[in-house]
Amino acid sequence: MLDRIERLCIDVATASIILLALMIFADVIALNLFKSSVPDAVIIVRELMVLAIIMPLAAATTQRAHIAVEFLTNMLPPRVVNHFVIFGTLFGVFALSPLIYSGFKELMHQINTGSAFYGDLNLPQWPGRLAFVVGISLCWLRLVVMAIGDIVTVWRGGTLEPSGH
Amino acid sequence: MDPATIGLVAFGLMLVLLAMRVPIAFALIGVATLAAFTIFAFRTGTFMPERAIRATSSLVFSNSFDLVHSFDLSMIPLFVALGNIAYRAGITTAVYNSAKVWLVRQRGGLAVASVMGCGGFSAITGSSLACASTMGKICTPEMLRLGYDPRLATASVAAGGTLGSLIPPSILFIIYAIFTETSVSKLFLAGVLPGLLTLAGFVLVIWVWIRINPKLVPEQGSAASWAEKMAAVREAWPAVLIFVIIVVGIYGGFFTATAAAAVSVVVTTLIGFGQKRLTLQGLWEAVRETCVQTSAIFVVAAGAKIFVAAIALTGMAPALVQAVADAQLTPMMLLICICVVYLMLGMFLDPIGIMVLTLPLVVPLVESYGMNLIWFGVVVVKLLEIGLITPPVGLNVFVLANVVGREAPIGTVFAGIWRFLCVDVVVLALIVGFPSISLLLSMTAR
Repeated sequence: MLDRIERLCIDVATASIILLALMIFADVIALNLFKSSVPDAVIIVRELMVLAIIMPLAAATTQRAHIAVEFLTNMLPPRVVNHFVIFGTLFGVFALSPLIYSGFKELMHQINTGSAFYGDLNLPQWPGRLAFVVGISLCWLRLVVMAIGDIVTVWRGGTLEPSGH
Repeated sequence: MDPATIGLVAFGLMLVLLAMRVPIAFALIGVATLAAFTIFAFRTGTFMPERAIRATSSLVFSNSFDLVHSFDLSMIPLFVALGNIAYRAGITTAVYNSAKVWLVRQRGGLAVASVMGCGGFSAITGSSLACASTMGKICTPEMLRLGYDPRLATASVAAGGTLGSLIPPSILFIIYAIFTETSVSKLFLAGVLPGLLTLAGFVLVIWVWIRINPKLVPEQGSAASWAEKMAAVREAWPAVLIFVIIVVGIYGGFFTATAAAAVSVVVTTLIGFGQKRLTLQGLWEAVRETCVQTSAIFVVAAGAKIFVAAIALTGMAPALVQAVADAQLTPMMLLICICVVYLMLGMFLDPIGIMVLTLPLVVPLVESYGMNLIWFGVVVVKLLEIGLITPPVGLNVFVLANVVGREAPIGTVFAGIWRFLCVDVVVLALIVGFPSISLLLSMTAR
């Protein structure tokens, strides 16, 4: 289930990057040829950026694509490295929790006040915040699932594939 | 607890967590949150957790969300996408293929073509590791097959791969700009001449090395015909066009760096479709790869933003500035100290890790001496570039040894790399001694 959601999130992020490239390109053309600009292009690109960056976070976690310093632990036996990998995952769970809490608080505030961006289209502010909370929460959930899976693997005497980086 | 002490503990904890292989982003966010909470909680002298939660929550959210919710930084996914799309469209290796045809008659021409190909690759992808990995798969096996000495065949590509950090678009420059709030466009322009100087230096190393020891390379190959040479030039034009769009576009004031990124992505896609080397599915796959790569970069940058904000609360940077002022270091002495620290860190850490650990303290220090942050950015990136090929942890060397396999163990690559390191040090000295090498283009741009 989580895998399917992550694939969907990457598709959304992929579409967002293509859209934001087209949006900025169209804005450059409009500005240079017609001396005008696409309405609220900057705001739309900023909102698309949240989708493009945060939605694939869980998938990046699944691929263990997060950048880590591996020089010191590479000198240790794999059995010891396993414990560091699990600790890193659990630390990720701890680190992301305040982000989810603060993001959720901000999202509720935006929904309750009905805040909108100042611009031609008066776009609401909550969609970007919602994407932020959803993306970070999915990553948090993936970290929990990975930590449990890794602990079970190590418990059974297996070795983890520590990093995709 | 005194905020400066909290800052010191935070730095210590960061180092311990990084050594324990905790992903850099999580280490930054976790430590920064703890440090900020402790400072806010004890600000009035008594422990006030409720107020601290509110203030920490606001600090954590605003710094991370504002970074992601940024128009200017959309250039990061766009430049990463540009590299991936250009790779699938066969544009990234075109400069190498073209240079190979022109230089095949020269002794060691393939090694020179490899370095030039790395320069061309860098001008599109902006990633040193991607450059070493891709070019390592193409150039090194070909040189080994033709009888090039393995030290030359590997070291030239490992060193050439570092060009991705200086020649625009460089992801390291963008991350530096996030920290220092400097112009990405100016940093890109500042990297052009030092990047080209490094490229010329690497070509010179190959030429001198072969002159001294001609047995390193096989006899000259047969010359290509004019028709082949012209075909090679035609193959390389998209890569040149992309470089021109980015550099001339920014220099001439036609685009911002963000607009240049979007335009080059669209142009590259159209060229790929036009030349029938790119399909819709290929485009989708290239952008999908971009998502994961960009996400991993951004979460580190977001963590770094939160960490910098937390460190600002501790007052560590002003204390360090004062300590250095008390020590009465001259600007050159300070710069030499900074270079030594970066070179030492470069032996063990990856470039992004070094940046997030050092810049929160180094930038205020450099600013207090009135140094130009654009020029300093070039110095920092050059130092990071050197770190990519210095033992024992030269990331580019490891990546190259990994893709080449048993034919070129790490020891062989390092055995050839020191000659290129010497050139890097000379170029670094020139950049430090003559800031105009870096600042000329950025100061004369429209």
